[in-house]
Amino acid sequence: MTPILQITDLTAGIEEREILKGITLTVNPGEVHAIMGPNGSGKSTLASVLAGRADYTVTGGTVSFMGKDLLDMAPEERAREGMFLAFQYPVEIPGVSTANFLKTSVNELRKHRGQEPLAPAAFLSLMRERMKLVEMDQSFLSRSLNDGFSGGEKKRNEIFQMAMLEPVLAVLDETDSGLDIDALRIVAGGVNALRSSSTATIVITHYQRLLDYIVPDVVHVLWNGRIVRSGGKELALELEKRGYDWIKAESAVEA
Amino acid sequence: MSTDTFTTIVQTAFDAVAKGVNGQASGPMHLQRVAALNAFTKQGIPTTRHEEWKYTNVMPFIGLPFSSERHEGTTDPLTIDDISQSSSGLHEALEGGWTVAIINGRYEQNLSSVPQHVPGLTIEALTDELVATDSAVRTALGSLAPIDLHPFVAVNAALTHQGVVIRLDANITLERTIHIAIVNDVRQQDTLATPRILVLAGARSSVDIVESHHTIGSFTALDISVAECVLRPECAVRYTKIVDAVPNSTLKNISSIAASVEHGSRFTSFAVSLGASFVRNDLLVRLIEPASETYLYGASVLGGSEYADNHTVVDHAVHHCHSEELYKGLYDGSSIGVFNGKIFVRPQAQKTTAYQSNHTILLSDKAQVNAKPQLEIWADDVKCSHGATSGQLNEEAIFYLRSRGIDADKARALMTYAFVAEVLEHMDHDALRLHCEQRIATKLGAEPFAP
Repeated sequence: MTPILQITDLTAGIEEREILKGITLTVNPGEVHAIMGPNGSGKSTLASVLAGRADYTVTGGTVSFMGKDLLDMAPEERAREGMFLAFQYPVEIPGVSTANFLKTSVNELRKHRGQEPLAPAAFLSLMRERMKLVEMDQSFLSRSLNDGFSGGEKKRNEIFQMAMLEPVLAVLDETDSGLDIDALRIVAGGVNALRSSSTATIVITHYQRLLDYIVPDVVHVLWNGRIVRSGGKELALELEKRGYDWIKAESAVEA
Repeated sequence: MSTDTFTTIVQTAFDAVAKGVNGQASGPMHLQRVAALNAFTKQGIPTTRHEEWKYTNVMPFIGLPFSSERHEGTTDPLTIDDISQSSSGLHEALEGGWTVAIINGRYEQNLSSVPQHVPGLTIEALTDELVATDSAVRTALGSLAPIDLHPFVAVNAALTHQGVVIRLDANITLERTIHIAIVNDVRQQDTLATPRILVLAGARSSVDIVESHHTIGSFTALDISVAECVLRPECAVRYTKIVDAVPNSTLKNISSIAASVEHGSRFTSFAVSLGASFVRNDLLVRLIEPASETYLYGASVLGGSEYADNHTVVDHAVHHCHSEELYKGLYDGSSIGVFNGKIFVRPQAQKTTAYQSNHTILLSDKAQVNAKPQLEIWADDVKCSHGATSGQLNEEAIFYLRSRGIDADKARALMTYAFVAEVLEHMDHDALRLHCEQRIATKLGAEPFAP
């Protein structure tokens, strides 16, 4: 079985500063991985490097996505191959409607797969169906993308886009930050509904709270640019109870 | 030297017009011409040392051997099809509207498509006879566009001949758009044209007017236009000025639009500049009775060495009036944009609300923008604001679009398009908005994406 994502000895940084100091991670089809860690440990850098954000420079290691060299692809190619990043801070784009943006996006992915563009009626009914997953109102479709949306609406819109694009690998970058408990439940419900045996999810989060709703198969702790501990979902509970200090202490001893 | 040439050209053109006025040499219109010629002589051609013309350098073209004479018979007469072709699709987009054709500054009824008898609407040539006999026209003409403050308004007024008067009676809502197609026939020579438009909107009337400027031919067109709009109480005039000439057009357009707005009326203006080598717009709106309002929008999308300059003045002369202004510019290549927005709030204009914003994106290192908001407020119980920004495209937004599978070029085009499209969202005229969106998208290589 080919893993969906195979990261080997990945090192990366921004300008001169190295942030990821050798990440190795395998994500297989059907799995949900949680990546936890204190602030500044490199969680969001990992998400950015996977999505292809230009600010970051990869200095070593490899990332294979469905057997292909991910690092060799432009951000749009990654998306077309089935990578999806749910942004921690979704961008507001006045003047671009959510519906038209998604139509372009969905059809770019379809074109890549050799499919015809979706007919307008089919597209509309698909949107309506997927909006229900995240309990979004249809009025959002005619509004400008994220423009004037509340924090919760923006995050729901991310999951709605994910539902429309049906990615092979979804990376949720602190999707839970700034969400109240109802929004958290809605967002997690959307993610769970999209889980399948052929796709995978990486949930990046600071808190265990989201993992009550999206139950992970594997939990990794990222600290100082390395994965210092991996375990089952009970690891997340232990982190919730004990904080990160004991991990920091242990990894300092090991180093 | 070049300024002498132009002055001579204006004098010669004036003499030619004067020769044709026959019995009206002492009539009110010709007296206005004489006064205007003097006003022009007094002011001269503005140089960039003049505050209002600091960035507007007319010197590179003002010395060309412009002619305002038409040489009948040397070229094929223009047809409606020619006008349509020169309009970059606008003429078709406004299908169902009525065309008022102005060729080289003169209203041409035979190329216009306004029916003879439309209840409540009169469109006629602005002649010396009409000014002499019609007091409404006489009172309005020259009352809004000041010859003393703008040398090219003076040139227009000195040479005004066969302009057009559009008159809407009280209580008339015109469903059809009036499209004033200002065509410069430059197939034979460099031409100087001075189109003059007078709009008289009666109480409680409503109308959409679109003024567009075009060229046919490859010589240089100097098109000095003036439009005056008188809005009686409780009427609505939506006046859109579009300069979207065919590629490589040599159009130089110096335009003045002035409006006076009476009680409860609304004047809405759009200035869309998409293609012409040189555009200078002066827009002056006077809110002269309480509860009047004006909305001014502008969108400039330039590339190459194009130049577009928007000077706006909103004059809050009385209390309880409202104005809003939104201008956006997108500049590529070595193009230059100017925005100068004045708002006057007179001492008696209490309870004024006036908002102005101006935003620019520069798409290349060589493009330039010069923005100057100028608020002069003499009343104390008012709400006024202005904001101006200038920057580059939001790279984070481009990354966001790319991360959804949209390639970098398309993402950039989409972002630039969306930036300008926001202005067009305020356009109620669907066919016109769609046309403008399409034209802007085409210029940017994007697809229309507005909500």
